Amino acid sequence: MIWVWIAFAPILGGLAYGGERVLRARMQRRQGPPLLQPFYDMFKLLDKRTLIVHSPHALLAVAHFFILWFSIVAIFMGWNLLYIIFLHLFAQILLILAGYSVRSVYSHIGANRELLMLIAYEPILLLVAVGFYLESGSFEISEILQKGGYLTSMPLLFAALAMVIPIKVKKSPFDVGEAHQEIVGGVEIEYSGIFYEFLYMSRFLEYIFIYSFVFLFGGVSSWVGTVLVAGTFLAVNLVDNATARVKTADMLKIIYSIAMMLCIVNIAGIL
Amino acid sequence: MKFFSAFRKKSPWVLHYNAGSCNGCDIEILAALGPKFDLERFGVINTGNPKQSDIFLVTGPVTYRSRERLVELYSQIPEPKVVVAVGSCTTTGGVFRGMYNVEDGIDRYIPVDVYVPGCAASPQLIIDALVKGLDVLEAKSKEIEHPFKLFGTIEMIGNKLSRLNMAKKVEQHEKN
Amino acid sequence: MEMVLTLFLLPVVASLFLVLSPNVRVQYVLSGAVLALLSITAFSLYNSPNILTFHFPQTLNTFVVAADIVLLLFFLYQGKKYDSPKVIILAIVQLVLFLYIEHASPGHSAQVVIDGLTKFTMEYSPSSTNSAEIVVDELSKFMFLIINIVGGIIVLYSVRYMEDEPVSPLKKQLFIGALLVFLSVMNLIVCANSLMLFFFLFEMTTLASYVLIAFRNDETSRANALKALWMNQIGGVVILLGALIAIKGFETVMLDTLMQRSGGWVLLSIALLAMAALVKGASIPFEGWLLGAMVAPTPVSAMLHSATMVKIAPYLILRLAPVIGSTAVGGMISIIGSLVFVAASYLALSRSVFKEILGYSTVALLGLMMALAAIGTKESIMLAMALMLFHALSKALLFLSAGVLERVHHAKNIEEMKGMVSRSPKTVGFIIFGFMSLTLPPFGLFMGKMFAIASVASLLHERPLLLIVVLSLIVGSALLVLLYFKVASALLASSSDVLPSQATPLPLGFGIPLWLLAFLTVGMAGGYIMMQQKMSVMVLALPLIFVILLPVIVRSMNGYDRSQPYHCGEKESFDSALVYYKPSHYMQQAMYWSFGILFISVAIFGALS
Repeated sequence: MIWVWIAFAPILGGLAYGGERVLRARMQRRQGPPLLQPFYDMFKLLDKRTLIVHSPHALLAVAHFFILWFSIVAIFMGWNLLYIIFLHLFAQILLILAGYSVRSVYSHIGANRELLMLIAYEPILLLVAVGFYLESGSFEISEILQKGGYLTSMPLLFAALAMVIPIKVKKSPFDVGEAHQEIVGGVEIEYSGIFYEFLYMSRFLEYIFIYSFVFLFGGVSSWVGTVLVAGTFLAVNLVDNATARVKTADMLKIIYSIAMMLCIVNIAGIL
Repeated sequence: MKFFSAFRKKSPWVLHYNAGSCNGCDIEILAALGPKFDLERFGVINTGNPKQSDIFLVTGPVTYRSRERLVELYSQIPEPKVVVAVGSCTTTGGVFRGMYNVEDGIDRYIPVDVYVPGCAASPQLIIDALVKGLDVLEAKSKEIEHPFKLFGTIEMIGNKLSRLNMAKKVEQHEKN
Repeated sequence: MEMVLTLFLLPVVASLFLVLSPNVRVQYVLSGAVLALLSITAFSLYNSPNILTFHFPQTLNTFVVAADIVLLLFFLYQGKKYDSPKVIILAIVQLVLFLYIEHASPGHSAQVVIDGLTKFTMEYSPSSTNSAEIVVDELSKFMFLIINIVGGIIVLYSVRYMEDEPVSPLKKQLFIGALLVFLSVMNLIVCANSLMLFFFLFEMTTLASYVLIAFRNDETSRANALKALWMNQIGGVVILLGALIAIKGFETVMLDTLMQRSGGWVLLSIALLAMAALVKGASIPFEGWLLGAMVAPTPVSAMLHSATMVKIAPYLILRLAPVIGSTAVGGMISIIGSLVFVAASYLALSRSVFKEILGYSTVALLGLMMALAAIGTKESIMLAMALMLFHALSKALLFLSAGVLERVHHAKNIEEMKGMVSRSPKTVGFIIFGFMSLTLPPFGLFMGKMFAIASVASLLHERPLLLIVVLSLIVGSALLVLLYFKVASALLASSSDVLPSQATPLPLGFGIPLWLLAFLTVGMAGGYIMMQQKMSVMVLALPLIFVILLPVIVRSMNGYDRSQPYHCGEKESFDSALVYYKPSHYMQQAMYWSFGILFISVAIFGALS
């Protein structure tokens, strides 16, 4: 059963992405694309001629996708939270190296921002993991899910996590990494056809990745977890529609001054 | 493959290029993309990146300074692709026709599939043209399409097809 | 027994031969043989279980004292010659302290005891009844492993490196010889048990830094060498103060005896030694000397200022860890270390000289090692040792690669290295590999950091103050990722692969040491993963294996069109600028002052508890 979930993780993420586009459209009082739009895009990308700059650049996107998928596997299998975060880091670094490996200004700026986003959210994710460890006595997801009541003991960590979700799913106010009208997609820029498809699908996986952290706060009751995920999903999209993009440096300042402080206060409270 | 070509119609991604337009048509294109006319219901995304685009929306009469970029952008769009010329200037040169610094429409440089009249072209017409372009897109093959002018070379270098020099750079003496 | 003597004497003998042989091929063979012999010896010593002890004969002790006085007088002379009041004052302070301690110390005239095999007549002094000047224990053996393998490889590399140095052949030979002698000094210092011997060797490493930094003998080299000298002399002064307290209070200069005592000023004495470690480890505010040391030839930077000599700092803390582990001094050191980890990673973001960036990251990681060592639990000590080994390997690899870029492509600044991958693909490959081995799974250094987070987090309930260490670990690691991959951004940018290649081959003399280090990094990381009790750690290796296999799986990429990168339709290519983050002057000053206060507070905590 679990392997079915793992195999269909990109599809699940794709549905989340499609649903999000519909939701966002409805928030702006328009019809929006169909729910299955991400899959239409995927099939279309398969049908395009593919332009690449050089082969390492193209292959790094493939590697990025599969390693991201592997970190999702680790989540579903209930492995160590630290491993999961660092597998994700590995995947992200490959993407950044890909962005740097071409002689393209937008790609470089995108990779720079991707790097800064990485150092903004990664400490928060790790601190959330430490929080789970202090509460449940283990970094293993399977053991974290045996207990409950995380939301009452670490509400500030949850708030900090909610602050970094927009970075990960590239939503306003922290969508600097993609910033389509500004840097034309950042690291994605030199990809086309089948290789862009891999990046497009890894965006679906990012949804699964970050929202499964939210799900963990539900603990033993998967019902609470689902409600939390749905609520956060709505809130993130509402914020996305209601705010403008902040500058990269401001993003770092906001995360390090507010989210980090929330984490520290909460962890100090647990101790 | 036949199965996949059916989806070309469902997700046309757009690259918008202003080849010296007065910005009238650009405003209309943005209006068409915005919430009121909601082009996104057709699956349209304004990517701003030729490498991920299917439909090339061009506005403006193609000024001397912009032709090189026009052809370069065109050659960076992977096939199958469709060019939509938006507005009178883009189709014929419009009010600028015959001026010393314009090229009287983009079809001197690249093959155009759909022409949109109007100064400025209305959002409704742009949507119609896009939908028309989708039929063209579905029927197209994946063969490389060449620009007409400023067309450089497509070479095979060690079994690899290089489109690096597909669009030629305008030489200095040609400008004067 | 013979093995330890091999480690002490072989480098000296080899360096004599090396200085006498002007033929480059002979130098290669000699340094290769030394590397092989030393690493085999160190490895077999590491696998032998027993602890070896040596007593020094009186003559040797007298020799050490005499040599020390000569050394201090030499520093005094250098200070006078180059008109540096700091060096002069510190040298005088050291001389006075040293003579006073020698005067006050109980007469130790122990005879040689060599492993119980050869026995001479012995005349023990009361203080050294059961402790010898030299004790080779587990930690020393581990240090031998690092010093001899990494150091040996660097010596091998320096043969090729010195070929292009614009100096006389004799000076080249002397340079390589000096590196070899330095290996002996390092081998000695990690098993010195007598504080006076330790002081002597500490000063010897200071001398080595000083002489080798000034090797190129231009104005900056000289200034930086003097800076390194006076900062390290502070370390010497605090060691002497520590020894003074040990002698006055406990009538011993033996470290192991001192560590068994309790009460009185013992903790102050230990704290002073730990402060010497902070100086040698170039913790902020002393990081200036290590940064300045980067003007030296690259093998020097690799050997002294990254892979081996500065490892004295975490080594010393590890030595003292059983005593300071749960005290305020240990807490102070781990806080300083972890703050240095963050601050140095941040300061590195403002630098553009490649070796300086590496230097700062060395300072940062040394801080982390000291922090972990000072926590003093069994697990954290193991982690600090693992970090030391993997850091030595990775940093040596990075420094040697930087040396290749400097020699073959004349690029020192990362601004000059833009697009280096198309000119020197292998070297850049090694650099990227080095960066990955410092930050990503499944490499040892990453593993160490990850286990450290887990291990320190498990101590949080009992020692809440360690939250600072956890936070610094997390933030500092993130900053280091930013730092390394920012540098990678300059190296990697390359044009389409259908354009003609401009690569220049990597000379074999550079290639072999680099490959050796890379293999060792991978092999040791594999061994480290195998050592873990949990087999699930192995899954962290899968991504890397996948990335390596991917080009094999996807055989040909010929079916895809090559195109120009997107430049908004322009035909010209552009290069993007690198980003730097610089703290304001005010903030930097504030940082230095607060680190200075923290540094002094180590002694205060030692005195109070």
